Amino acid sequence: MLYRTAGQFKTSYHADHALFPVKQDAWLLGIILIFAYAIIPMTASEFSFNALLIPVLIYALAALGLNILTGYAGQLSLGTGAFMGVGAYACFKIITAFPDLNIVVAIALSGFVSAAVGVAFGLPSLRIKGFYLAITTLAAQFFLVWLFEKWGWLYNYSSSGAIQVPNIKMFGITVAGPNAAPVTQYYFVLGVVTLVTWFAINITRGRIGRMWKAVRDMDIAAELVGIDLMKAKLSAFAVSSYIVGVAGALFVFLWRGAAEPNLFDIPLSFRVLFIAIIGGLGSILGNYLGAMLIVALPVVLGTLPGMLGIPIQSATVEHLNVMIVGATIILFLVVEPHGLARFWQIIREKLIMWPFPH
Amino acid sequence: MRRLMKTALLATAIATSAAFAGSAYAEDSVLLPNLSYRTGPFAATGTPLMNGQRDYMTMLNERDGGVNGVILNYQECETGYNTEKGVECYEKTKAEGAVVTQPWSTGITLQVLPKSNVDSMPILAPGYGFSAMQDGKIFKWAFNPPASYWDGASMILQNISGGNLDSLKGKKIALLHLDHPFGKEPIPLLETLAKKHGFTLLPIPVGLKEMQNQSAQWLQIRRERPDFVVMWGWGAMNAGAITEAVKTKYPMNQFVGIWWSGLDADLKLVGDAGKGYRTLSWSFPNNEAKVMKDIKQLVVDPGKSMLNTSTGEFDWVFYQRGVLISAMLAEGVKEAQKHFNTKVVDREQLRWGLENLDFSEAKIKELGLDGMIPPFKTTCANHTGHSGAWMLEWDGTKFVKASDVLQADRAEIDPLVAEKAKEYADANQPWPTNEECKL
Repeated sequence: MLYRTAGQFKTSYHADHALFPVKQDAWLLGIILIFAYAIIPMTASEFSFNALLIPVLIYALAALGLNILTGYAGQLSLGTGAFMGVGAYACFKIITAFPDLNIVVAIALSGFVSAAVGVAFGLPSLRIKGFYLAITTLAAQFFLVWLFEKWGWLYNYSSSGAIQVPNIKMFGITVAGPNAAPVTQYYFVLGVVTLVTWFAINITRGRIGRMWKAVRDMDIAAELVGIDLMKAKLSAFAVSSYIVGVAGALFVFLWRGAAEPNLFDIPLSFRVLFIAIIGGLGSILGNYLGAMLIVALPVVLGTLPGMLGIPIQSATVEHLNVMIVGATIILFLVVEPHGLARFWQIIREKLIMWPFPH
Repeated sequence: MRRLMKTALLATAIATSAAFAGSAYAEDSVLLPNLSYRTGPFAATGTPLMNGQRDYMTMLNERDGGVNGVILNYQECETGYNTEKGVECYEKTKAEGAVVTQPWSTGITLQVLPKSNVDSMPILAPGYGFSAMQDGKIFKWAFNPPASYWDGASMILQNISGGNLDSLKGKKIALLHLDHPFGKEPIPLLETLAKKHGFTLLPIPVGLKEMQNQSAQWLQIRRERPDFVVMWGWGAMNAGAITEAVKTKYPMNQFVGIWWSGLDADLKLVGDAGKGYRTLSWSFPNNEAKVMKDIKQLVVDPGKSMLNTSTGEFDWVFYQRGVLISAMLAEGVKEAQKHFNTKVVDREQLRWGLENLDFSEAKIKELGLDGMIPPFKTTCANHTGHSGAWMLEWDGTKFVKASDVLQADRAEIDPLVAEKAKEYADANQPWPTNEECKL
């Protein structure tokens, strides 16, 4: 009923290849965007911005970056956290060296630093793949976090070894730092995330995206049909690390406000990897669904006992939280091994058929 | 399975709507949250402190009905020492109407410190956080009574040098520290003192991943043969270091820890072999003090405490230090009530209260905390108060006092505080300072 496709005729190839061949998809996206841009900012509390909305968007962006590398180009990476760190530290150095620079430019530039580092650590992918490649990205993870700790220049030799975000203005409005209003930060992050997502959707649908998918599915066959493996793999590393770097810069500048090196350690990499896997490898939508499950669900569960007035110790809630989230992850993966995005696809297909099952 | 999925979806929907809604709090109570960690790698050291804090508040509510008829609503928000959870807890408790935040980790303190000005939220970080917070004119909202890490470093050096720092000339002092903002805190002061008094400082960092296995660090200590090892450790790192020191037969009387490196349980592990290990402490357990007796009678015996009675946690330095921390907070509330002639204090009023804490000898006695803490007094210009501290020594079964109250060398520390506080304010412009303070 809701998803009736009857009557939507395609009269040209162009129309058939449109981003939303089914009208309802476009409407749904429109509704989500209205929610994200208009309704949520008007109703959400400061807690929701800082503990739910902004982190979900940033984690989804990081997962999107990883998904391009792992889901689309098939190169397994365990170094996402460190590449986020590269973006964050690059942004910190750029901002402290040029305090008058527009923060959008600084974040965009720090993405390039991260992309360069990503390509450097992606070079081994030309000779090795699978688990072996995962090990080299793991090496990147350990090396970069060690570098963040030991290289004083990166954190301007501050005695605590941590980086702190100063107040940064853009067109007269404070967008980053302690004085920034959460709603401003939310709009900033949302804007960046929307832009990057639009870019990612188009790049993965086009020539480059198909090249990546061909390499993912079988690299020898891809080479035989004339795809330059080096170009394909390194471009995947570059684009992926760029997005991850931007996510890292947002992570520190628009959300955390301060960061110490061990923040970018392997648990962060795993967290982003979980989001990508549970959301669905090789999908854009999945990153958002995964981030909601991994980032937002524990926060929501943590507030439940207080809301319902259940007298329970905070530490116990934390233990229960870990168990519930763990069980949910396993449950979702058992029910749908291809992730939440595939889950949505099945629901959508059923909706198109509904109420007649055949 | 389908029904299960539906239930799950429904539950998520309800949960999401609940999270967006606000929450109410009862009249005539003040919300004093604590960002606790009873889970994670630092739980072993965190739990006794949190228990002490909780039990003092419970005792006041049971015995006196709170403070001047206002119930002290002590609530914990679990962070697991994770900075990400810390932000979440800070925002959550702020939304619930908290009048104070107790971040309990230098990393979380660094994150909430810049926000404290914007949100008008007092930060109470007793004996931890950023040493420069002492400067109350610049750090209007942050408090670290009764002693800062720089005070601690200065007192340790005084004690091991026998009162004259020049006697350390030519000696080598290793600083075994957690590789984290907390562990790096004393380095600027120690470097200055090393240059001035001619001793060698050898910082040996212990990464968060190596806390339980410090063989590499102790191999370095064995090779370098420092005259003293000073430890800035926390959580699992302390137990790791002490067992490793016993294993490598490092002389215990040359091994000194800061106040967070003196958990009774860690030394009970090694027992007699740990004899001679010293830890600086601004608190001392005294089961005969009136407060401790009241807590035992009103909280522990009726089973209202989360205390682990089988390990004798009640007698530990850390448990009773937690009691003292809550006592400082409760006194802050009381001072604010008196000064503003109100019952339920708000953030601004509590800030004033914490700025005017006066733990004089007489007050300590009146509160029933005899012998548990040296006297100190905070002012609007001095948010630390400088109680001084005792050196405690492990005698094989418990910690005993091994010195009189030591005092830090103010002439060395205060200029450094002024310099670092200014540096911080400059890096975080626009940074409002307390102009009203004329001290």
